[in-house]
Formats: sequence, C-alpha cells, structure tokens
Amino acid sequence: MKTCLIVDDSRVVRKVAARIIRDLKFNIVEAGNGAEALKACRESMPDAVLLDWNMPVMNGLDFLRALRREDGGKKPLVVFCSIENDAEHINEAIRSGADEFIMKPFDADILESKFAEVGLV
Amino acid sequence: MQDEVFNELADLALKGSGQSIPKSKAYLIEARLAPIARREGFGTMADLVHCVKSRANPAFIAEIAATLVSKETRFFRERETLQRVLKDVLPERLKATNTGRLKIWLAGGSTGQEAYSLAILLEDELPPALRGAKIEILSTDICKVTTENARMGRYGHYDVQKGLSIHRLTKHFNRLETGQWEAGEALRSHISFRQHNLLESAAGLGKFDVIICRNVLPGMARSARVRVVESLASQLVPGGLVLLGQGEGLIGLTNKLEPARDFRGAWVAAGTANAAASAA
Repeated sequence: MKTCLIVDDSRVVRKVAARIIRDLKFNIVEAGNGAEALKACRESMPDAVLLDWNMPVMNGLDFLRALRREDGGKKPLVVFCSIENDAEHINEAIRSGADEFIMKPFDADILESKFAEVGLV
Repeated sequence: MQDEVFNELADLALKGSGQSIPKSKAYLIEARLAPIARREGFGTMADLVHCVKSRANPAFIAEIAATLVSKETRFFRERETLQRVLKDVLPERLKATNTGRLKIWLAGGSTGQEAYSLAILLEDELPPALRGAKIEILSTDICKVTTENARMGRYGHYDVQKGLSIHRLTKHFNRLETGQWEAGEALRSHISFRQHNLLESAAGLGKFDVIICRNVLPGMARSARVRVVESLASQLVPGGLVLLGQGEGLIGLTNKLEPARDFRGAWVAAGTANAAASAA
C-alpha cells in the first residue's frame, strides 16, 4: 500500500484529508509543520505528500525545497494545497518542485481528481 | 409534488427536450426549476404549471424544458474518447478529405467543459498528422443560458479542479478578480457555441466529420432517442463518425447508423462501414 504524508498545521484539515485519502487506499502519516514533515520523510520516504503552504516553524515551500534536496526526495509526488491561489503563488509552488496544486477549500472529488492527474490513483 | 403537477412537468420535458423523467426523480424537477419559479414569482410548482396551462407561452415552455435537462459535465470526462478522437479519428478523417478542414460537433455540450477540453488537446497534443489542418469545434446545448455560459468560458473553483491539471489550468485559463477562471483566447479560437435543440432539424449546423454526443441519450425517451440519433446521422459527412458515451449503445434503435469497423465504439452512416474499411 502506498503512503501519503499529510502536512498541515490544522488538525481538522489533516483529519478531513486523511479520511478522504485513506479511501483512495493509502497509509496515512501526519505532520503539523514542515520540520516534522522533513523528519518523517527522513525516517521513511512517502509516495505522496499533501502539503499546506502557511505553517509555523517551517512552511510548505521551505519544506518542499528541502525535501527535493534530500536523498530520495525527488520520489514523492507532492500536491501543494493552499488558500493562496493566484498565478504567482501557484507558479512558485510548481517551480519549487510541486507536482500538483489544490486551491483550498477542497472536497473528496477534487482530491481524487488531482491525485489522478499525477498518477497516484 | 402532487402527481398531476409532476405529470404536467414531465410531459412538458418529454415534448420539449425528449427527456424521460421518472416519478422517483421528481426532486430533480423542483431543484432545476426553483430559480425560474423564483424569478417569475411562483410560490409553488403548482402555480407555475397553472400559469403554463392557462396561458401557453412557447418561449417560456421551451425554457422550462431546457432547464430540466441535466447540465452535469466536467473537464476531460471520459478523456480516452477525446484522446482517441485527436490521435486516431481526426488524422484518419483528414486523409479522407481534401479540404484540410475538419469539423467536430459536440451535441449536448452543456457548459462547455467538453469543448474546452478538446481545444486543450488541440493546443497541447496535436499529432504531427494534423498540423496545418483547420479543426473547428461546435458545441451546442438546448439551453440558452447554458450556451451563453459556455461561450463566456468562466469556471469556478470546484469546476476547474476536477479533470484539469494545474499546468493546464494556469496555461490555458486566466484568473479573474472574482476568483473565477476564464478560458484564454487560444482555446476560444477553436470553438463556436450555439443554442440548439437536438429534437429539431440540425440541417442549419452543417455537416461534420465527428459528432460526439455523450450522456445525452440515456436520459431520453426511446422515441426521442431515435429522432436525435437519426438527426445526428444525417449531419455526417461521408465516412464521418458518431461517438457516444461509455456504455451507450444504439442496437435496435435505428438502422441509419452501424458500428464503425475501424473505431471500436464509434458509429458510421449505415452502408458505409465496409466502404470505409476497404478505402482505408
């Protein structure tokens, strides 16, 4: 079974996302910020990362850049997820190594569609 | 909803658009007609039916029938079909014509996602064999408002995140102040939109190399399906193809179309399947 790391400082968002992604047949690992997420990746590289932008300690963009420099850090498919949805933010996420981008708020249909776009389901 | 009110509206849908709405879906009628009822100041569906019956206004009746048709669609729905049209069907059709021009009709194109999806493929994945060809897409819908919305090409947060990758979204759409996303000029240049009721003659639309009609027939009464399919058949250029949605068939419905030899799941005008195969 594939693993998805959900990175968001909101427990509620993590819980909602976890429920949806579990239905897509993933193991779920959660992290509350970029630093925790990086630690989780060093322990075990996930197949997918659902990544929030604004978080304390280490934000999503900094995590993503750090992840892509890690050993094996190019492997996970990263789906960025943010309330900031103008072209500039989106392009910055893609340039930094995101494979897909979800504009918040999202629902199960959007998550599944975006996971399908990058070949995760 | 009282039975007589339901019966009146179901009958109106059947005559106006060929839709067959079962009693179990009476809630669909209420949901779809609510905006019209509100606009016209009717408190209940019974009031609306009463008005229609006492003073028949053909335009209003047509609007009600059009509003009762499902508008459900999404970007790249059944994308394999669209990709096949681009990679297999159109190059084959181009070889068969000497005009360098190909016409595609999306019959029942709703709010335009299907047309824009096809235009995206023309922009992003045009096979070498189609370079230089003039490919025109016509998308028609029974509903005037839906057709106008399709032409406007503006989609909300949820619509653009289902079926479209972020790359395609940012490449082909512009974000408006309102938060909506608007199809760009490149996509628009491939498409024209027209209001058209599939029960009426399509002679004015011209002839087409490919007609795509998906998720339209299943909601229709049998007699309407026959009429629509035969109308589609009469708008094909010689050797042209009709493509339906997944799981939709025509067996026993008409003798004007038969399965295409070269394209599984596609239909050609009766009597031409063999000719097309031997010419190929």
